[in-house]
This record gives sequence, structure tokens and C-alpha cells, in this order.
Amino acid sequence: MLPALVLLSCTDLDETELLYDEVTTDDFYQTEEELTSAIGDAYTLLFTFYQNNNMMPLNEVTSDEVVVPTRGADWGDGGHWVRLHQHTWTPQDSRITQGWEYFFNGVNTCNRLLAILEPIGTPEADAIIAELRSLRAIYYYWLMDLYGNVPISTDFSATEPPANNSRQEVYNFVEAELTENAPLLPKTGPAEEDTYGRVNYYTAQAALVKLYLNAEVYTGTPQWQKALDACEEIINSGLYNLTPAYRDNFTRDNKGSSEFIWAIPFDEVFAQGFHLPMITLHPESQKTYSMTSQPWNGFTTIQEFYESYIDPAQNPGPQGEVVGTSPDGSMTTGTLDERLSNFIVGPQFTADGDRLQDGGADPGDPDGPPITFTPYMNELQPSAWRQSGARIGKWEFYNGMGQFLSNDFAIFRYADILLSKAEARANLFGYGDAEALMLVNQIRERAGVEPFTALTPALLLAERGRELFAEVHRRVDQIRFGTFNGAWRFKDPDPSTHVNIFPIPETQINANPNLVQNPGYPGSGN
Amino acid sequence: MPMEISTLSKQTVMLLSVCFLATSVFAQEKTITGTVTAAQEGPLPGVNVLVKGTTTGTVTDMEGAYRITVPDDADVLVFSSIGYTSQEVTIGNQTTIDVVLQEDVQALTEVVVVGYGTQERKEITSSVASVTPENFNKGNITDVAQLVQGKVAGLSVSRAGGDPNGGYAIRLRGLSSLGANTEPLVVIDGQIGADLNSVDPNDIQSIDILKDGSAAAIYGTRGSAGVILITTKTGTQGETQIDYSGYVSSEAPARLVDVMSASEFRDLGIGNDRGASTDWYDEITRTSLSHTHNLSLSGAAGSGTSYRASLNYRDIQGVAIETGFDRLNARLTLQQRAFDDKLSINLNVASTWSQQDLGWNDAFKYAAIYNPTAPVRTTDPLFNLAGGGYFEENFVDYANPVAVLRQNANEQLEKQTNIMASAEYEFIPGLRLLARYGQQAGNIYHTIYLPKNAFYLPTLEVTGRAFSGFARSGYAVKEDDESFDQLFESILTYETNISNIDLSALAGYSYQSFNNEGVEMAGGGFLTDKTSENLASARDFANGMGRVESYKDGSRLVGFFGRVNLNYENTYFLSASLRREGSTMFGENNKWGDFPALSVGVDLSQITDFPWVDNLKLRASYGVTGALPPDPYLSLQTLEAGTSLFYAGNDGYVSSFGPERNPNPNLRWERKKEFDIGLDFVLVDSRLTGTIDYYNRSTSDLIFEAQVPVPPNLVPTTWLNIGTLDSEGFEFALTYDAYRSTDFNWSTALNFTTYTIKLAELDSDEGSASIPPANLGTPGQEATQIARAEPGKEIGILWGLTFERIDEDGKFVFSDLNGDGAINTDDQSQVGQGLPDFEFGWNNTFTYKNFDLNFFIRGAIGHDLVNSYRAFYENPGVATSYNVVNTKYFNPNLDDAQIFSSLFVEDATFVEMDNATLGYTLPLSENSAFRNLRLYLAGQNLFMITDYTGPDPEVRFQDRSLQDGRYTNVVLTPGIDRRETWVWARTFTFGVNVGF
Repeated sequence: MLPALVLLSCTDLDETELLYDEVTTDDFYQTEEELTSAIGDAYTLLFTFYQNNNMMPLNEVTSDEVVVPTRGADWGDGGHWVRLHQHTWTPQDSRITQGWEYFFNGVNTCNRLLAILEPIGTPEADAIIAELRSLRAIYYYWLMDLYGNVPISTDFSATEPPANNSRQEVYNFVEAELTENAPLLPKTGPAEEDTYGRVNYYTAQAALVKLYLNAEVYTGTPQWQKALDACEEIINSGLYNLTPAYRDNFTRDNKGSSEFIWAIPFDEVFAQGFHLPMITLHPESQKTYSMTSQPWNGFTTIQEFYESYIDPAQNPGPQGEVVGTSPDGSMTTGTLDERLSNFIVGPQFTADGDRLQDGGADPGDPDGPPITFTPYMNELQPSAWRQSGARIGKWEFYNGMGQFLSNDFAIFRYADILLSKAEARANLFGYGDAEALMLVNQIRERAGVEPFTALTPALLLAERGRELFAEVHRRVDQIRFGTFNGAWRFKDPDPSTHVNIFPIPETQINANPNLVQNPGYPGSGN
Repeated sequence: MPMEISTLSKQTVMLLSVCFLATSVFAQEKTITGTVTAAQEGPLPGVNVLVKGTTTGTVTDMEGAYRITVPDDADVLVFSSIGYTSQEVTIGNQTTIDVVLQEDVQALTEVVVVGYGTQERKEITSSVASVTPENFNKGNITDVAQLVQGKVAGLSVSRAGGDPNGGYAIRLRGLSSLGANTEPLVVIDGQIGADLNSVDPNDIQSIDILKDGSAAAIYGTRGSAGVILITTKTGTQGETQIDYSGYVSSEAPARLVDVMSASEFRDLGIGNDRGASTDWYDEITRTSLSHTHNLSLSGAAGSGTSYRASLNYRDIQGVAIETGFDRLNARLTLQQRAFDDKLSINLNVASTWSQQDLGWNDAFKYAAIYNPTAPVRTTDPLFNLAGGGYFEENFVDYANPVAVLRQNANEQLEKQTNIMASAEYEFIPGLRLLARYGQQAGNIYHTIYLPKNAFYLPTLEVTGRAFSGFARSGYAVKEDDESFDQLFESILTYETNISNIDLSALAGYSYQSFNNEGVEMAGGGFLTDKTSENLASARDFANGMGRVESYKDGSRLVGFFGRVNLNYENTYFLSASLRREGSTMFGENNKWGDFPALSVGVDLSQITDFPWVDNLKLRASYGVTGALPPDPYLSLQTLEAGTSLFYAGNDGYVSSFGPERNPNPNLRWERKKEFDIGLDFVLVDSRLTGTIDYYNRSTSDLIFEAQVPVPPNLVPTTWLNIGTLDSEGFEFALTYDAYRSTDFNWSTALNFTTYTIKLAELDSDEGSASIPPANLGTPGQEATQIARAEPGKEIGILWGLTFERIDEDGKFVFSDLNGDGAINTDDQSQVGQGLPDFEFGWNNTFTYKNFDLNFFIRGAIGHDLVNSYRAFYENPGVATSYNVVNTKYFNPNLDDAQIFSSLFVEDATFVEMDNATLGYTLPLSENSAFRNLRLYLAGQNLFMITDYTGPDPEVRFQDRSLQDGRYTNVVLTPGIDRRETWVWARTFTFGVNVGF
């Protein structure tokens, strides 16, 4: 009976003594390595940046570039892909909910790490603080761009659910944070290993370029001069150059490309998340690339967007045989733009060179089981043909790839800065500005097409589209150029411009009584 | 203070060894003979004759005669037999003792097991139900829950379809918790939180169910969903008894999904004709053959020792090919008395080994929807897609079901060892101290292998992703999960009599530790399937694509408890108890909780003299119980290594640590308050017995993973105590001995259950929550809401558009509920109720001479089910990819996208003949080598009366869904018949029971 008496006194219920596979915050941040690892948490979030639940659907599927058709039972998903494309989304839609949670996760992680770093006071800690504040400002830039009136939250210890800030206030916050912290960041180029994939001085400048370029959309006040200054800050550094070939930016071994101002250093093993092959390729494409996973047959390009490359009227250049837009995907004559490598079109083959076959080809499919990716698409829903739609092949798909690519992804790329400079100059000095035209033609020449003789807003937007296709800039570009609310294939004109910002997710509104819904959405009061 | 359990267990073992070595010394002996008769019926065989307070005993023979040798100092003989009141006779100088036993009002003296003790039925003041083996369900029983399915008012046991490895959902009085246990706490021989299937059905003496809050409150933080107490058989007195029982059993599909045959599919003219005619259900099912053997040995071995040992073996074949299990269970029970019977030692050891072929539930989905014109096998390269020789096509969620089961391995090896050792010492008469140590060690080893030429693309729980063996060049998963739980309890009990009051009291301390750890490994890229058991031969582990994970967690539960029971002249009864309990899993600010209970009863038959009434007890009770969080650490702020690595320059990646969750230092127990009022009666010379209960319960502080705003929170969900569930219900159970004679007896029993559960609110100071609705799912209907739970409404809402008709163009017409001219989500409303109005069970037992016949009918009335098969595939349009579901609701003119509506919600009311048994007991001569010999034939699922068109209309109390890569049982959205349901199967069993 002795053990009984001994145990009678045991009433210890401290749970931290029973932690074996997690660590409490009190026991972490003890070594430099642990600190580095903790900062990593603010960046590793970016590994899902391009997935089918984040920037890609919000900025591309909503635009005239990309669509996710419903193919029979596939990708119906309760219609939310169609709603994204047709601008009829609701505050319940999962992409909208996930986008909010995703970027605020980034903000909160920065806040949490800042709360740990701020009391330290060493120069090393201060350098990291500047970096994290800049990174947080960039997360806020995206939040402000997508949702407009988001709450500014900088205090990790706050417990009261915050209220909205106006879009202007968030704009001011992003501008102030970036301009204040940029000078404290290293002025390193893409070849510098220690800062690769991290926010440096030029990353902050590139973020400012995006902010100022769209300032009129965000605040009503244009900031073309500031946009131009930020572009020149990057260009004049001499650290960045256009790569000799367009494709160099998108290969498997594109790390450190001279155009990368800020890149996500993906790796198919260590840094998984870039699953473009999965969301765009046909299940049978597995045999083309000897893939270790079977793709999902989802994201494709809109026919008219593809045409903007091959149509000599829109895109003058050398003519040759290209895949046309007839239902059977037969060849036609068109412009040979090097950037057609953005698409996978035409007949598909196995790795051994046999024609790829789909036993389940749709009854209406003109060529039956052999698979031909056609820029033509019969309908958006409910039964888009399984082989229809030009696939997004911008990043090199390599033999033996799995779900995730090892190619790095440029969030900010030099070519965008050159085009942005052209746009800033055109707005400051008129579309007749010679330097603006020269900058655009610099991009065109690299793509092997003929230079423009004069520049118009429509031409500039189209050139941005061809150059920056699928790099998640399209929605904001279309809003800025005023085409976002128009009509295109499978989409009618928007009855109202309230769709230029997304609604605040219903889950957030329900959980936080201090939040007010964005105008035009159910529950907003107007 | 760190616990030194290993030292403790050593001490316990040493203590036990010492006690077993101690032998009592006997003086001289004498022999007593006599005859036992029953009041009206004459000589009584099989009566236990026992020297009081010892294990020395014998049984009477066919003439009621006995002969027993007793020590000279023996005082009293106890004569006992089931159905008769025990009688004690002082020996004195007598050498012949004849006894007349009186028939027993069994319903009153039956011993009922309650938490930490036993009581006579007449003293019980709370709602407790007991089921003994003669009332268990009969047939091919593979799960303990099956034994009591439909037998107890208030206890719902359900499993849809015939998966032999699929567990049963168990609900006591509906849903009363969102915490760790929505199913009742199981206590086996004092082992709290035991696995129901660590005991073989043949070893069970009784199953007692604590239904109300006052009965369960002694189990504190784990009592909210009710408690099931299982008592195993112990050693018999007298001569050694050997019993064998065994059966062979055969199962065949009886209800399937109605789909088109090959010719109907061709006539429809929409889908591709692949040239063959295949009945896919036929291809994946079989008439199975199972057999089961149980051998037990029990007796007493002089000097106060009694024992029972049993061995149980089951070889069960599933109705689907390549499925089933093999199970071997052994149990040993030892009891030793010593020191003039003041010390009593018990040791109970059980071991279970089970090898399971789980198969793949998807095979049933694919059997329903696979193109009936497709052949099973092919050599055409257009369809031999994975090279395995099976016909395959590339559609979403679609694979050859024969290939799924034949090619892909999904096996599990489960091992469990349970040890319970206890010692009780009586210091003075009535004052006893019990100490016990229990241990449960479990291991589950799970292996999946998807071979190189297998096309099937399962979403694996371990990875949360869909892979095929073909795509990954062979893919293997190994999971090894260990659980280890130790219980230590010491309990002081005191029983006495003060004037007219019988008083019993107890005080106790309970300490339990839980530890879990495990390893998961998964990887592909095998050169050959032959080395699938060696993961080192998987290329993924060399190139970094292999997946390895491990975990370890632990928790502790500490409780103090006490109880007082009073009995005033067998007329007035009172019981009061309190448990104070703490768990490491609660937040820093709320580690401890108090769980009180009070119950009272009065036997009205003692106060007034009703005719026909033997007993009429009115009782009322109130009790508070709790529920634990589902996992440890939910209140803590911790960091965990992410699966992604951070690029630290020069091609170097470091692991990144991020927060696991939002902390909640206030996380506390769920609190359920329950009021129960009941009436127990024994009428008409004990021929009619019954019980009626009404209860009202309210569970507040529900533990819920609530949506919280981001910011200020780091992640969008936090574990909060939020919301209230209110429920009330009414139950009754009746047993009537309808006819009694020498040759023919008939008794009938009926039980009835009804309840409503309302989610009263879902709010607290810390936040509010919304409950994610249940959606129809992949493919294409991921955001199609079909069930939901709403504050202020009853649980069980099935949700959708209201179907009106299909118009002349073949388009769906739905009701425009809000009259805005458009059909959209605003026109959705409740279109069904997933929980039944009531459930009942009706049992009948007939005996005629040596024949016995038993049949049991049960049913659930008034519930609806979402028929997912129809909701996805009852549309001619799906024929381009899938076979078409073809029930009475099928409309060939439909030409519209598949849109969910009330059309796919069906009344699933059912009445079924659950089981029936015809037995024959052989008349044995006195000199027979057998003690008894019985043969029987049993049938299960003999008929089903229902309008439901799916295979099984059983109530779905929970919705199993894959969330974040884990299968979770969602309890707030019942009523969904998912496509993974197995077919409904019928079983016939032939068995024999032999006693030596």
C-alpha cells in the first residue's frame, strides 16, 4: 500500500514536461541557427505563393489570360473557378478566404518575429528587423491590392480583433515602411548567395514600383514620378540585365538569373510548392515527362490571349507555322514570338515519341483519343473537352519531374521594371516619349519580334501580357489599364467596379465583429 | 514531480508474488451431504454450494444431491443458483443439510455494476442498463459493440455496410460532447478507457451501461458521452469446467446500389461501349466463409485460488475479395484469497493479436460506377494503362475495382496486451482498501503497397495526397503506432449499518498516464515490387523525396473521488458523489474541475400496497460530467518544424520553425449537466419488468476548433470552449414473460429510444464560431453544401434546393423559395433530418422442450439520408465517364448538370430482422462426457423493410471526411450516406457449444 500513499501526493499537471515533438517558444530562439530558422518561417510561406489556392487564382484566373474550365466531373468545385473568372465571387469562396489567411499569416509571422528581435538591440538584429519590416510591408501591399481596406496590425501581443483601415491608410503604411527600411537593406544583386531569395534594397524598390505604378487605383492620386524614380534606382544599380534568351528566366537551372530582383528559391525536394505541372497538364502528360505524379488537367490559357502572340496585326514579327485556333488545333501561319514557349500546344507525345492517347476522349473531340492541346476551347462548363486549352508551359517542364518543380520563380523581374519605367515615362511625358518606346522595343527585340513604331496604352498592356504572362501581374495591370471590368471569352462585362477589390472573407467577418465588409458585397451596407 | 511508474510496477509484482506464495494451512476436515430442492419444482441441479468466504465448493447433481468436504472450522454453507435467492446455512454439527431454495425476484437482486463498485438493482437510483450474455445478439459477432446493438434503450450502435474491419459508431443518448469522446467511455474490469475490442465477446460476463449524468459523474472528465462497463467472466467454483464453442459462418451481398447493366448502359447510348458485359459487384464480392473457435477452462485449485483461461480465434472473410481478418485473443484471470480471506488478489491478463486485410472502400464506389461494358482485363494498350493487364480509363476518381482490391495491399497488424492487477484488504469488517495497477500496451503496424503496374490513385491518409503505384513506380507506406497507458488507483470502501440505514461509502485516488508515439515512412521508386518490404530499395529515400515522420506525445489525468450510498429500509435510497479531476491537457488557468452528482429513489411498493406490483421505484438524479480536449497541447503556444526548408544561401536549406497553433491558456473541460427522472417497475409476479426514463441535458463550454480573426491571431483557428448543446429524450424498456409452462416458454422484450439534440448556441467571450458545412465532395461538388449545423437548431440538418420536377426540356425545376425569380444558394433550406424520430429493438425468445428460438427485430424511424450515389451518378449525362445509378427515381429525360437538391435526400426509415437463432440442446445422459451440448443455426440481416434505395439505410451518426489529410468523424453533420459504404450483406451461421 506504500505506493498508494506516495502517489496520493502527485498532482502535477504541467504539460510542457510532456512535450516531445514540439518546442515551446520559451525554449526556442536560443542559438543563432534557431533564429535563422525562425526567420525562415516568414519566407517559407512563399512556397505556396503560386499554388492553385493563392496568387495564381486571384490574379490570373480573374483575368483575360487564364481560365480553369469545368471538364465533366473535374474542376467543377461548386462553381467557384467559374465565379472567379466571371467576377461573381462571394465572400464564402474558398480562394478568397485562403488568400486573406495566407497573407495575414505572413504579416503575423513577421510581427511575432519582430516582437522577439526588437528587444535585442544588436546591429545584426537591427538588420533582420529592417528586412522583416520590409517583408511585412510587401505582404501588406498584396493585402491592400487584393482586399483594399484591411486592418493594419503590427503588434503581436494585441488580442483585440482589429477594425479595418482604409486603403489609403494601408497604402501610406506600406510606403512608409518600405522607404524607411529600404536604406538599411543590403544593395546586393541576384548573384549574391547570402541574400538570394530574401528581401534586399532592390526588392523594396521593386515593391515601391508596383505600389506607385498603381497609386491612382489605390488612392486616386497617381505617383508616376515616384514610380520612375524607383525603377531608375534598380536600373541604374547595374546589377540587373535582360537575359540573352527569354526562356533563361524559366529553366530548371534559372537560379540567380540576372533578371531576378526577388525570387522564390524552389526545390523539388527541399522547397516544395511550385506545382504548375500538376494544375495545367493532362493526366496522360505524365508519360510525356516521365512524371512521378499524375497531373490534374486544370489551368489553361484563353484563346484570344494566345492569339495576341501569333496574330501579326497585334504582334508583328517573323511569320511561320504555329498551332492555330481551329477546334482540331491544326497548324496555321502566325508570328514566331520566342515567348510562344509560354504555352504547350499541338500534338502531344510520350517520352518515347509515341502519340499520347486518351481512351476517355470526349465524344465531340475532333481527333478522338490522340491528345492535341488546342488553344480553342469548346465551352467553359460543364464539359470542356479534356484536351482543349493551351497549357501553361512557361517554366521548363523536365523529364522525371514530380509534383513540384525545382525552377525558381521570380516575384519581381527586371523585364517588368523596364516595362514599368516605360509606362511611368509614357504617363509623365506622353505615349510619344521615345525612351518609353525604346524600352518596350528592347523587350520585343529579345523575344525575336519586330519593334513597335509607336506606343499606345493598349499596345503596352498587350506587351506586358505577352512578356509577363502567368507571373501573377495580370489582374492589377487590367485594373490599371481599365480593361478588368470589360468582356472577354466566357466573361460578360461587370455591372459594377466593386469587384476590383475582393470581399473580406465571411469567416473573418463572422469571427471579428470590428470588420466591415467592402462596398458592393453582401453585408457591406452599400 | 516525475512519476516512478516502473518502480511502482516492480513493487506491485513483488507484492503479488509474495501473496501467491502464501498458503493457508488447513486443519482437519469433515464431509457434508444433502439435497437441494426448489419450492415447487423438486430437485434442483447445478446449485453452487460454497463454504462462505472461501473458494471451497461444489455443485449439485441431476438429483439435486451434493457432497462437500469442508474444514472443521467452517461455519456457513452458501447455496446459490441463478433464478433463486441464495441461502446461507450454519453448519454447526450437522453432516446432512437439505435445503429448499426460493425463486428469486431476479429483477431486484440482480447485481448491477456501477462505477467503482456494484449495487443490487433495487438500490440503483440512476439510469443504468445491464445486458447479460443470454440477451446478446447472436451470429457471426466480430465486434463487442455488435453484442448490444439495438438491445438497450438510449444506446445507438450503427455501422453501415458489411466492412468486417469497419468500426461501429456508438452513441449513448445522442450527442452530448464535441470533445475527445463522442462515444461512451469503456471500462473493462476497472481499466478505464479500454479498447472495446481488447475483450472477446465470449469472455464477457455482463455489459452495464451508465446512461445518465449522475451515474457517469464518478468518471469526471470522461463521463459526458456515458460509460460502458464490461465485466469479464471469472473462475468458477468446484470442478474444472471446459467449454468449447465454435461456428462457421457465410456471408453474401444482399443489397447493392442499383446501377445500369451492360445492356441498359448500351441502350442509353451515351457512354462508350467497350464491348464486354461485366457485373462489377459480382467481380468484387464473394460468398465468404468464416470460422471462429473459443475454448475456455475454469475452476478452483484448492487453497483459495480460482482461475479462468480462454483462447479465442477468429478467421473472418469479408464479403469483398481480399478482405477480412484473423484474430487470436487469450485471457487469463486468477483470484487468490489469503489471510482468512481478508486479502484478495486478482490478476487479469489479456492479449490480442489481429491481422487485418483492410481492402479499399473505394472499390465499392468504383464497382457501382465502373462502365459495365468494360472488361475486367485487357491487353489493348489504349486501356492497359498501367501495364498490369487490367482495363483502366483516365477519368477522375475512377479505377477498375477488381484491380484496386487485387493489386494494392492495405494491411494492418494490431497487438494489444492488457494487464490488471489488484489487491484488496479488509482491515475491519466493512472497511476495505483496494489498490490496483492497470496497463494497456497497444501497437498498430500498418502497411500499404501500391505496385508498379497498379493504376488506382488512392488519397493516402499518411500523405494527404493521391498517388498511384504506376505514377510513383511502386509506393510503400509503413506506419507504426505505439500506445501505452498506465492506471493506478487506490480506493477505500466502508459498508455498515446504522439503525435502519445501510450505508456504503468510498473514497479514492486515480492516476492515469497516456503515452503515444510512432513512426511513418512513405516512399516510391521501386525497381521491383518484390522488395516492397524494404524501403531502402525505394529510390525516393535516396533522392530526398521519401517521407519520414515521427511523433511522441503524452498526457496525465489525476482524480480524487468519493461517494456515499444510503438505503433506508429498502424503501428510500440516496447516492451522492463527487470527483475532482485535473488533466495536463487543460490550459494553465483551468487545470482542475469538479463533477458532483446526486440521485434519490423511493420504492412506492414498500409504502403502499399495490396489487400486482412487486416493485415500483421512482427515481431522480442530477449529475455533472466533463469531456477532455481531443489532443494534447491544444492550449500551448509551441513551435514545430515545417515541412519546407528555408534557403540560407549557397544551395543550403535549413529547417524552418513556425507556430503550431494559437495558444489558449483558458482551455477547460466541457461541462454537461444532466437531469434524469425514471421509473423502474416489476409487476405481475415479476413477469413484467421495465424501466422508463426522461432526461434533459445541457453541455456547455463545448471544446471546438473555432474560427478566429486573423489578425490578431496567428492562425485562423483556436481551440476554444464555445457553445452549448441541449438535448432531451425519452426511453423505455419492457420485458414480459408472456407464456410459461413446462414445455413451452415465450418471453418478449421491447425497447424504445427517442431524443432531440439542439445546438443551442455557438458563442463565447473569446469568440464565435461557424461550423464548416458538409459538402458533397470530389469530383466537382467540393463546394456543394448538403448538411450543416446552425446555432438554435436541431442537429441533423440536411440542406439543399427543393426539387419540384424535371421539365419538358429535361431541366431541373427547383422551388424559388425567396421568390426573386432566380435559383441560387438563397433558395436552399432544410430538406431532411439526419437523425431518427425514434429507434426500437424487439426481441422474442421461445423455448419448446429442448428447442430454443430467438429473433430480434430493430429499426430506426423517421431519419433521412443524403444518397451520395444518386447525387453524383443518377443522371444520364454522367454516362460519358461513369455508369449511371438507376433507382426508381431515375429519369432518362434529364438533360442538365447534376445539381444537388431534395431529390437526393430520402426517407431512410427501416425495420430489419437483425438476427434470429434456432437452437437445439441435446438431452444428455447422466454419465455423458459432456456437461452440455447445443447446436444452433443463426441468421443475420435476414430481411430489411425500407424505401431507401441505397444499400444500407442505417443511421449515419457521423460523417467521415478527409480534412487536412486526416480522416475525421464529423459529428455535427449526421445523415450522409457516402459512396465508400460497403454493400449490405446477409450472414448464416452454424455453431456448436459444448461443455465438459
